Amino acid sequence: MSSEPLLRVENLKTQFFTESGTVRAVDGISFEVNEGEIVGLVGESGAGKSVASMSLMRLVEEPGEIVGGEVTYKGETIFGLEEGPDGELRERDDMLSESEMRERIRGREIAVIFQDPMESLNPVFTVGGQLREFIEINRDLPKDEAKVEAVRMLREVGIPDPEDRYEEYPHQFSGGMRQRVLIAMALACEPNLIIADEPTTALDVTVEGQILDLVDDLQDRYDTSFIWVTHDMGVVAEICDRVNVMYLGEIVEQAPVDELFYETKHPYTDALLDSMPRPDRTVDELDPIEGVMPEAISPPSGCRFHPRCPDAREVCTRVHPDTLEVDRADGHPHRAACVKHDVFDVGYDESAPLEAGDEAETDVGGAATDPEEDPETPVEEEQASTDGGERPEGSRSSSDHRSDVGEASEASRKPENEPGGGESRQ
Amino acid sequence: MSTPDDPIGFGESDIAHGETLLEVDGLTKHFASDSGLLAGINLETDRFPPVSFGVDQVEAVDDVTFEIKKGETLGLVGESGCGKSTLGRTILRLLDPTDGTISFKGDDLADLSGEELRQKRSEIQMIFQDPQSSLDPRMKVGQIIEEPMGAHDMFDDEGREARAKELLEKVGLDPRHYNRHPHAFSGGQRQRINLARALSVDPDFVVCDEPVSALDVSIQAQVMNTMEELQEEFGLTYLFIAHDLSVIRHISDRVAVMYLGHIVELAEKEELFENPQHPYTNALLESIPVPDPRQSGVRGVLEGEVPSPQNPPSGCRFRTRCPRLIAPDEYEIGEEEWSHTRAFMRAVKRRTFEPMSAAEIRQEFFDGELPRGGAGEIIGEAIELIATDREGGTRDPDSDDDDVEENWEEATDLLLGRFAEQSICARERPAYDLESEHGSGTHFAACHLHR
Repeated sequence: MSSEPLLRVENLKTQFFTESGTVRAVDGISFEVNEGEIVGLVGESGAGKSVASMSLMRLVEEPGEIVGGEVTYKGETIFGLEEGPDGELRERDDMLSESEMRERIRGREIAVIFQDPMESLNPVFTVGGQLREFIEINRDLPKDEAKVEAVRMLREVGIPDPEDRYEEYPHQFSGGMRQRVLIAMALACEPNLIIADEPTTALDVTVEGQILDLVDDLQDRYDTSFIWVTHDMGVVAEICDRVNVMYLGEIVEQAPVDELFYETKHPYTDALLDSMPRPDRTVDELDPIEGVMPEAISPPSGCRFHPRCPDAREVCTRVHPDTLEVDRADGHPHRAACVKHDVFDVGYDESAPLEAGDEAETDVGGAATDPEEDPETPVEEEQASTDGGERPEGSRSSSDHRSDVGEASEASRKPENEPGGGESRQ
Repeated sequence: MSTPDDPIGFGESDIAHGETLLEVDGLTKHFASDSGLLAGINLETDRFPPVSFGVDQVEAVDDVTFEIKKGETLGLVGESGCGKSTLGRTILRLLDPTDGTISFKGDDLADLSGEELRQKRSEIQMIFQDPQSSLDPRMKVGQIIEEPMGAHDMFDDEGREARAKELLEKVGLDPRHYNRHPHAFSGGQRQRINLARALSVDPDFVVCDEPVSALDVSIQAQVMNTMEELQEEFGLTYLFIAHDLSVIRHISDRVAVMYLGHIVELAEKEELFENPQHPYTNALLESIPVPDPRQSGVRGVLEGEVPSPQNPPSGCRFRTRCPRLIAPDEYEIGEEEWSHTRAFMRAVKRRTFEPMSAAEIRQEFFDGELPRGGAGEIIGEAIELIATDREGGTRDPDSDDDDVEENWEEATDLLLGRFAEQSICARERPAYDLESEHGSGTHFAACHLHR
């Protein structure tokens, strides 16, 4: 492993400018990918994982835009801003142009595998033809050589009888086979980095197993680095070397995989692991995370996880934690964005634990514009219904969190009595 | 009956907790693979007569037998296309069974029709996978929940409204959301509305078809917890269909594993997960990525893909992919030799290797030495057919492609016909009841290894 990482992402910000406001889908994330490494990007839907990975390729579409940060690949600037003479931000001169990105980076240096293999393949051309064309263009091979290469790649990724399958159309392939074709396509130019965006999510477990094994195998052979975007902690444990956990546009924890699972430093990661049913043992009681993820359009103040966090204290509503190093393992930092760790030194220990009641008060102001912010508080429930119950954005997920039916209903009838009490775990 | 003060589980159930509520026997559902005016007319020009009649059947569910006790959750797990949803729908008579009986509280649902069946539907309900499309976007939540009650003439208007609100509360939603439209709710909440709708007619039995698979993990846990609470409160019986073994392990009491229309294994949860007796269950369990980096070890990856249900393999349907396919009795062949043979046979069938010389093939698949006796002779013959240096055949790369093609096919037929088809796995459909190691229930495994 060289000292300089293959890919360095610093403080990357991607925002979507929509009519209802600016969605901060990715809000200042930093991470690195070293050579030959599989780096996980984990989170629930809406955490910003896909937007983050697309930003790395500068493939964010309108109304989205990368508004800040720096992406460096092998010393070249994929994205970078500088301050212009008038103080406004402009793209740096050394930033790769759009045509350079297209001709040199995408596909050749960094390839992508998407989740849905049916949408990534053109249904009216043969599978082989598409693969051949890709190789022809990106590797400047003549047609016949490209075809030989395409057949070789198909065999390489374990497609039986590749000469025959070469002539077939995508619909004649099963989901797993299509995903193999996409992997073949991604590998065809021997890129140094592959961004895999939930590549196994749509597949059956046995097929998923086959694909994971294939990736393991190919990675050994080609020494390709991967950014593996997924929501499945099982897959993470299986193949990742280091992991970034995302919550609402931010990386809340960053650690080598073993540390993430055994020395968990962020309450969100903890809660995520606790809420999962396990295939390897029977869990009698699941511990779901309360509430739902708020929308990135107006995230909670302070720590974004605090409304759902079991460890939240008063200080968490005020102080926004950066992702700081809290531990070290195997020469890799273990970073976490939680003020309960000593490095933050913002008085977490002295701060009062967050009562559900306090929570409601702090959020009353924001509630009118953003009830999502803290769906637990019945105060908002009240407002939602006085609004006529037809608030378009607002009250969508207002009470998805109720795991405890009996008490929760009790609480919502009498909001003044410890409103959040019903929601807490038993 | 029409007062809202009635307890929510108002129907008197005549079946005690723990007694058999539903018994499915030999249930079969075949679909015609083709439909339309000209369906059933097949044209094959290289045959005489060139036109034949008859529609191919897709054997989605084939001879399935199990029972569910009142108050329990039977998990039904399998990969996509294995027929688990078809089975669920056939039990509810949303699809007409081709054969078999579905006895529910003593009535055979397969026999009922018309009004009788409609009446019965108040006792059996369903929750669908997609919370997006299973709720009418133009109806309000209240209407959605009241609709089934209306269809079954339960309560008057006020009674229904009161019950709908009560149910909203029971499933963890705010009763004040009664007048909202489904679009105002998140996925997890919509699934709760689905729950409330299913429970509105006070069913005994609910078929849940992948109810949590579209939800995020944390929401999944919330919904599953609610489902368990409701089950306890109302004494519900679930048939819980899912592809996710972790979810199944969490929520089920007993688990049935399906493969290509057959139930291959059925046992109590602990027994099935800790002591799986079918190679398919085993492979399934080994393929799940375990959320524990210190455990990522051996994965018994299955070869190949699920065969088409239009023409499923004879005997055990898993045999074409089974890592433990039993050697035919007529050859005296050792364990290791058989595993080489099996691997070679499948490699030829799937054509996973590039053409090479006979010696190379022998080296690659058999460590240079073929099994002795009859088996070895057959393998030798097959190798002869596909080897690049075969005798008599002046095979250079320019030679006729059709010839090569034919030879591969011949080799495949030879190997499959003499080995795979002769195995007991191909000749008899397995069904064995075993002793459980965990718990007291029976353990059904459809695998000849237990003969």
